[in-house]
Amino acid sequence: MTKLKNILDKCLEVLVMVSVAVLVIDVLWQVATRYGSKFSPWIKSFGSEGQFAAFLVKYTEGIQPSHWTDELATFLLIWVALLGSAVALGRGAHLGIDYFVGKLDDKVRIRTELFAFAVVALFSLLVMVFGGIGLVARTFELKQVSVSLNMPMGYVYLAVPISGAFLVLYSLIGFFERVSSAKQGGAA
Amino acid sequence: MSFPIVVLVASFLILLVLNVPVAFCMGVAAMLSILVMGDLPTFMAVAHKIATGIDSFSLLAIPFFIFSGLLMGHGGIARRLIDFANVLVGRFRGGLAFVNILTCMLFGAISGSAAAAVSSVGGFMIPLMNKRGYEKNFNTAVTVTAATTGLLIPPSNVMIVYSLATGGIVSIAAIFMAGVLPGILVGLGLMLVAGIISIKNQYGQGEKATLVQGIKSFFSAVPALLLIAIVLGGILLGIFTATEASAVAVLYAFILAVFCYKEVKFNEIPKILLQCGVTTSVVFLLIGTSMAMSWVLAAENVPQDISAGLLSLTNNKYVLLFMINLILLAVGTFMDMTPAVLIFTPIFLPIVTGIGIHPVHFGIIMIMNLCIGLCTPPVGTCLFLGCGIGETTVTKVIPKILWFFVAMVVSLLICSYLPFLSLWLPDSLGLLK
Repeated sequence: MTKLKNILDKCLEVLVMVSVAVLVIDVLWQVATRYGSKFSPWIKSFGSEGQFAAFLVKYTEGIQPSHWTDELATFLLIWVALLGSAVALGRGAHLGIDYFVGKLDDKVRIRTELFAFAVVALFSLLVMVFGGIGLVARTFELKQVSVSLNMPMGYVYLAVPISGAFLVLYSLIGFFERVSSAKQGGAA
Repeated sequence: MSFPIVVLVASFLILLVLNVPVAFCMGVAAMLSILVMGDLPTFMAVAHKIATGIDSFSLLAIPFFIFSGLLMGHGGIARRLIDFANVLVGRFRGGLAFVNILTCMLFGAISGSAAAAVSSVGGFMIPLMNKRGYEKNFNTAVTVTAATTGLLIPPSNVMIVYSLATGGIVSIAAIFMAGVLPGILVGLGLMLVAGIISIKNQYGQGEKATLVQGIKSFFSAVPALLLIAIVLGGILLGIFTATEASAVAVLYAFILAVFCYKEVKFNEIPKILLQCGVTTSVVFLLIGTSMAMSWVLAAENVPQDISAGLLSLTNNKYVLLFMINLILLAVGTFMDMTPAVLIFTPIFLPIVTGIGIHPVHFGIIMIMNLCIGLCTPPVGTCLFLGCGIGETTVTKVIPKILWFFVAMVVSLLICSYLPFLSLWLPDSLGLLK
């Protein structure tokens, strides 16, 4: 099971890392193209006939402010955020209030931890996976597409059921890790 | 209270106490209450709220500011800012306490994270102050409280979350600028307390810096501080949007940390990318599920009911504001900042705008309240982190931190009742609608 978790971790982690990097480049590209498109008129406004100016104008003339970058960015963000939340669950990074549980003795505390994982698994299964599939199906039916990339919104919302499945998987892994550690703790 | 709301509040509180992650508490509470409302395809409705809740270009600023903050944090800016602050305020009695506070303000602003300020600045300053004869628990108390000022001084992620929670009524630029003076006010208040305690206890005098040292530390710290100028200047001059500014901040921080300061190696970048992704998704899942919960609250007229309840107690604006402050302080003691902002903004905003408080002003009040909560038990991220770094315990720090709380609460009251402190700067920059 730890092996499965490690492989899962690696795959999701790489996906998240690459997406964050693409996100940054995407938005920087948006800024660059918007100012790039103003660049050649600006050079021309000096009216210089020099070779260097001609060179600059030649290579910046065609630049148009990009319209698809903000759409791509929001789509990527949804995927990063949802897939990342599965990774975060695996690392125990989601914020909770451990004050009250910390006061309990070990045995009861482990039971509350098991309960918490069960709640997360159930929510992920019902809402993220089942609800998400419903959402995706409906957006495909309604043929909703994005404005500039013309991408069916179903593909964007697909992030919900897929990351839901990973959340279920991670919470089950967490659940059974607690079970086995409780057994070992009992033996020791 | 309608039955769905009883279900929502009860399930939320029970799950919260049992240490279920807050994002899932909100999701499950929303799910159960929609289930008892009964006229909607429950699971799909919640999934829809989660997906559309995070589908926003302006939210992109959050991962980017997290990213640039991580780069700057790893990039050794804490030490440079400490040197710089030392030249400015290190010479007075209790100098190192002032250095600590000033560095926290600057570092917190740049990194956008109070926890990062505690660990980066505190990790260096607390041991140093211990060695120079300052009392350990005092040093921890200074660091913990000062670290929260960075959340008021822009750029600040919690302000972006607030802007989102208001439904875009408050622009990111406006709330950013509104935080500047209150942030400085809290910093000065903390310095005042630290100064008085230092004089009383005869804490050490920092050494005087020579002019050469001053110039050197200035030029070493300025590139880091320029980040704030680029972000705020870029937004204010209309060169780029807040989101684009945050992406430019990443580029700038990257160049600075990797090529200029040379403290971040290329092979560390993937780890930072991942950390950014994970922190981002923690915040975003909170945003998504809180949208579902807020939707239920609004559908069941909860803000109106609470508003009517509060107004039946009093209709004095100042008393109401005071009560809301008390509620937010109480919330802050046991809840982290982001979920608290997401849950309580939609509830309180209609009430406060009804009694004539500007939404931008209210954002500052709310964040100041929750900042105090970061330094208090039972749930105080900064306090517990600081105690770990200061190698001390909460019980020992509390007596020392009390006077700093007084400073924070007084600043909070000043900012609550003098709206121009928050509104003057954004107003004169033409950012208020």
